[in-house]
Amino acid sequence: MDIGQDIVSAATDVFSTMLMIDLVVGEPLEGAGAEITSNITSMLGLGGDIRGMLAVHCPAAVAMAITSGFLGMDVDTLNEDVKDAIGEIANMIAGNLKISFAGYGVKVELAIPTSVVGESYRVGGMLAARRVAVPFGMESGQFLVELKYIVNG
Amino acid sequence: MGNNVLLVDDSSTMRKIVGRSLRQAGIEFDNIFEAADGLQALEVLEKESVDIVLSDINMPNMDGISFLREKANRPNIKGIPVFMISTETGDDIIGEAKSLGAVGAIKKPFTADMVNEVLGPFLK
Repeated sequence: MDIGQDIVSAATDVFSTMLMIDLVVGEPLEGAGAEITSNITSMLGLGGDIRGMLAVHCPAAVAMAITSGFLGMDVDTLNEDVKDAIGEIANMIAGNLKISFAGYGVKVELAIPTSVVGESYRVGGMLAARRVAVPFGMESGQFLVELKYIVNG
Repeated sequence: MGNNVLLVDDSSTMRKIVGRSLRQAGIEFDNIFEAADGLQALEVLEKESVDIVLSDINMPNMDGISFLREKANRPNIKGIPVFMISTETGDDIIGEAKSLGAVGAIKKPFTADMVNEVLGPFLK
């Protein structure tokens, strides 16, 4: 399993297909690191053969640019549309990862995404989990896709 | 002649994207109805004249599979075609959806061309 590359493939497919954006791909990192300052995080739980969480962390400017691209209109606040749009980004990336995992014989179930907005928050939990994070760049800035997971059994 | 379409997704953003994709695909419609889950979708189908349904699978309250199951038990609406539009594309879940009456599936992420390819032949 090359989860870093799977995240890259999953995210670039979502952005090129839905938003016609070619992302600048950063280096996938395992373990700590690759933190960014984010104003919105959308998380989605994974269950089945692995359990964990996929998170998309975005600064406000990136989140609003993504939402504007989705809706075809200007977005200038972190409103419900933005929370919804970044949740869908997380959902589609997780869906693509689910297909990649199935190729390894790993069955994954997806939960419904949840988004949090704030100036100062930290997503914690799952201390024993492995972590893979990939930074991506677009015109409005950088965002981070992070997978924390534990293989069951 | 146009079509009346029902979009079922807990994401309002995704409902807007699907609606825009229909327009970009050149699919004509008279009305786009929206529902945030299977329960709301059943209410719309009972009240409105709908030609085709595009439904997500993973939704709160009533998911897409339960929606199909309930719809199949209602003779007045059971014949309305449903396409699943979801990140869920596994043979098991899509197979279950089709066994409950779904006539096709579109994988998220999607383009307007993909929507047209799947839906075009079924619309008037």
